[in-house]
Amino acid sequence: MEIGLFLGCNTPALRPDVERAIRTTMPRLGVDLVDLEGFVCCPAFGTFPSNDDDSHLAVSGWNLSLAEKKGLDLLVECGSCYSSLQTGREHILSSEKRKDRVNELLEPTGRSVTGKAKVRHITDVLYNEVGLDKISRTIGKSLEGLHAVVQYPCHTLFPSELVGFDSPPARPHILRDLVEALGAEVDSFSREYQCCGGAGGFHNTSAPEAQRYAKEKLDAIKNETKADLIVVSCITCLMHLDNVQKHLSGGNGAYGIPVFDYNQILALCMGENAREVASICSVPRDAVNARF
Amino acid sequence: MVDLQEAKKDLWSEVYDNPNLRYCFNCGACISGCPASNADPPLLIRNLARMVILGMEDELLDEDTPWTCVTCSRCEEMCPMDVKPFELCLAIRKWQCANDSTRIPPSIVEIYNRGYTQPVERNTEQRKELGLPEKLPVLGEYPDLLEKFRQMLMKTKIISDNEFMFKGA
Repeated sequence: MEIGLFLGCNTPALRPDVERAIRTTMPRLGVDLVDLEGFVCCPAFGTFPSNDDDSHLAVSGWNLSLAEKKGLDLLVECGSCYSSLQTGREHILSSEKRKDRVNELLEPTGRSVTGKAKVRHITDVLYNEVGLDKISRTIGKSLEGLHAVVQYPCHTLFPSELVGFDSPPARPHILRDLVEALGAEVDSFSREYQCCGGAGGFHNTSAPEAQRYAKEKLDAIKNETKADLIVVSCITCLMHLDNVQKHLSGGNGAYGIPVFDYNQILALCMGENAREVASICSVPRDAVNARF
Repeated sequence: MVDLQEAKKDLWSEVYDNPNLRYCFNCGACISGCPASNADPPLLIRNLARMVILGMEDELLDEDTPWTCVTCSRCEEMCPMDVKPFELCLAIRKWQCANDSTRIPPSIVEIYNRGYTQPVERNTEQRKELGLPEKLPVLGEYPDLLEKFRQMLMKTKIISDNEFMFKGA
């Protein structure tokens, strides 16, 4: 299948190794990625969606119409981008008045939004289009013997009627299944379904409280599991759970649990070089990378 | 002490025109599991819903807590009365921006100028090292598209009402 790649801004700007992992792994699973010329901010919830509907839906429509013009759906890894595009699409399509307004604003570009282009999270495509069997068959190396925990991206769960593809929404399993398909044992823990706390204004306005919130999760992982790594599938979860350990450890490595985006660990299982697909991190990944 | 005789009774229709808001019975499901309810000061959406319903205009205008929301939308899933608390949170932000331009996040000026808030087009060295194409097809690569993007935004209300903020672009 062919799909439009919506990278967002954090991945290409701050963690391009994740971009490399996505670009390398997806075509090998039969998902060909097409770049979108002139894509813009999703828009992030703290920007236009916090200002007015008119500018919010215009920017959503800008991105959706780029995919529609190419006759493609959109593939998104970042949870916030996914949720913003998905809910923006729904808001535009659920009212003729809003749809007409967006298309009036888009008119000078020669593009429009009719609803043809759908928005897909990368774990949805991996699970529902590629499938676990194909993933297991494609990898050359497995994670057998390693214990992992997973962090589900909240933006792909709630509100389930708009963004959801996992079930039941508050007890998801898709990311766990995807990691198990690589051969790792996925441990359960009490705070498995808790948000990472990294998005929006929480960490910016209340850094000590947001760090304490993440600490509860990391303590539960330390005390209740044998996790060698945390696997996420959202750039915010990745950066937050990785970077926050630096603050919490106070330099003494008290946590030291490496964090990987799913496509990074998938790329390593496919034999890719860690220097290209998993090199940018706060917590060293050497112990896991050494296995490959 | 808040004098409810002075309150603006129809504030809800200005802020959040969702009839389900009046069915909020203060259960607190929106707070349970909310990451930002751990912030200082805490985001307590239930209380914000009360302020809107009771018409506490001045207090609502001064509230910073809607801006600490992590946007996870768990509250929307949990609310038994379909108030859509996350939508309410965004609606309060929008109402604050419409009534006080100092609330408008500077990030929208950045997006108006370049299409993004992060330096997506600038880390060419790192991209090269990772074996990625050095250039992405970002908006700045297409001057005519960038111009159309700005013209589109200039027609939207929040931007045309606050044109001075975008003049330096």
